[in-house]
Amino acid sequence: MSEYSKDYTFDEMMTVLMAREVRNDDVMIVGVATPMVWAAFTLAKVTHAPDAIYHYIMGNTFVLEPRQVSLLYLEMNTARTYRFQDSVECTLESLPSDKLTTIEFFRPAQIDQYGNTNNVCIGDWEKPKIRLPGAAGILDFSMFYSRGSFLYTPRHDKRTFVPTEDIYFISGVGFPEGKPSICGGSGPQCVITNLAYLDFDEKTKKMRLNSIHPGIELKTVKDSTGFELVIPQNLKETKPPTIKELKLLQEKVDPLNIRQLEVLSGKEREELLDEIIQRELAMKNKFPKLLF
Amino acid sequence: MRTSKLMSLEEAISTYIQDGDLVGIGGLSFWRKPISACREIIKQNIKDLSLCTFVGGIEVDMLIAGGCVSEVRSCFVGMEIFGMAPHFRKAVESGSIKISEESEASIALGLRASYLKVPFMPLKGLIGTDMPKVRNDIKQIEDPLGSGTQVMAVPKIDLDVAIIHVPYADEFGNGNIAGAVWMDADMGKTAKKTIITCEKLVETEDIRYLSGKAQLPLQTTSAVVKVPFGAHPTSCYPIYTFDPRHIQCYLKNDFEEYKKKFILDKSPIQYFEETGGVQTIFNILL
Repeated sequence: MSEYSKDYTFDEMMTVLMAREVRNDDVMIVGVATPMVWAAFTLAKVTHAPDAIYHYIMGNTFVLEPRQVSLLYLEMNTARTYRFQDSVECTLESLPSDKLTTIEFFRPAQIDQYGNTNNVCIGDWEKPKIRLPGAAGILDFSMFYSRGSFLYTPRHDKRTFVPTEDIYFISGVGFPEGKPSICGGSGPQCVITNLAYLDFDEKTKKMRLNSIHPGIELKTVKDSTGFELVIPQNLKETKPPTIKELKLLQEKVDPLNIRQLEVLSGKEREELLDEIIQRELAMKNKFPKLLF
Repeated sequence: MRTSKLMSLEEAISTYIQDGDLVGIGGLSFWRKPISACREIIKQNIKDLSLCTFVGGIEVDMLIAGGCVSEVRSCFVGMEIFGMAPHFRKAVESGSIKISEESEASIALGLRASYLKVPFMPLKGLIGTDMPKVRNDIKQIEDPLGSGTQVMAVPKIDLDVAIIHVPYADEFGNGNIAGAVWMDADMGKTAKKTIITCEKLVETEDIRYLSGKAQLPLQTTSAVVKVPFGAHPTSCYPIYTFDPRHIQCYLKNDFEEYKKKFILDKSPIQYFEETGGVQTIFNILL
């Protein structure tokens, strides 16, 4: 029996939940600027999924070895250690195939009850209030993955979880009008947040509260969601990180807390960023540390 | 004697880039971007450029801030973990530049269509997204061969110029890229004119022994410029990593001040001295 921890932060909870989604035969797709995803995949790799393969979009490279999460030297990892390098078009078009089971986590700026997502703009596209960086490969892949797409956000609030009519630009396809996409993918599988683990009702394809994190009130989740969630009769509590998972994450996988850059904001974030840069620049070796 | 394509940065940019061109920029995010060439474009005050890049970052932001850009074709422009690209964001929100919304595959296949000289390529993705609402030049069609599959037709992208930074090139225009190539080979081969900036000039014979050989072959190269640290503050694998301190400096400073300090009247050597010179090389890049 694993022993569950009582002392953890919500970014640790989210990272562990994301790691638990990985299967041993997955290709794990690491996108741009998503250290929490990288940390989760590496945690999976050193716990229950030793055969899973990284695919770094930034290098179009398939990498076998787990390394400590790094902010500055990811390129050294992707460019040097690959076993196989794909051409870009080939990567783009063949990754979401039936042959490979891929897992990719997308972080939406907006999401509706059917898992449609927006990473393009807030406000009218023609003249947006906020122009976001863009949706990159989400536009290409969200409707294809045979194992579905996986979503996460550390900001479970009404600005992120919105009614369908308030999504400004659908850049990631969920279950349009409650039906699977015609492109054949399995659609969104789960949404991992700072408050809860959500999935989608098998019949209606509406977002469902699968489990609620320890210490979080049901009312908080409801009040933080801009649409009505499917709430099961006997609501479960999310299993927190085990002591082993937490120790690995903190000591081996991401000792510099790079994943926290995804959850912090403002001055706190600036300070952490400075600290990470300083600590990484002080390292003599620019290859992220090999784990095991 | 074979023709050498070696020229100065100033000459390469003024000869091959005109106002209004569609310019392809090599590299990805903070990796192997032709930043010295972007500074030269700002210096020469070239206007109304359309930029096309796979994952855009500081180079797109800088060219927008410098007033050189009227349109951006990209699926992502941001400063990665450092945050949003401030001038890109402001320019789109105020409507001062146009956006052509792209995805990774619409750029990759658009360039491939240009390479194959076909008007469009079929794409599996995009279906069900709002892309067709903002792009009247893409279209969902049924497989004309009768399988019944729905595909999205995306148009070819014909670049006027491509600017690509590489670690090694010879003076005749053979460029070698170490590490990931991304869209650079397709950009270099399809653009009407291709400018290569490189860290080191090597002999043609050396290119044969480099892994990947000449991903950018001489017949499609217009100019070769030697600019050591020409990708700074982005990286040039395997020679140096990106410079987080300079990216922070870019984000913290008002662009007009940044321009005065690092761009206007600065040669590549003076620029590099301003960024910290030897200290930067020893403590950050190598």
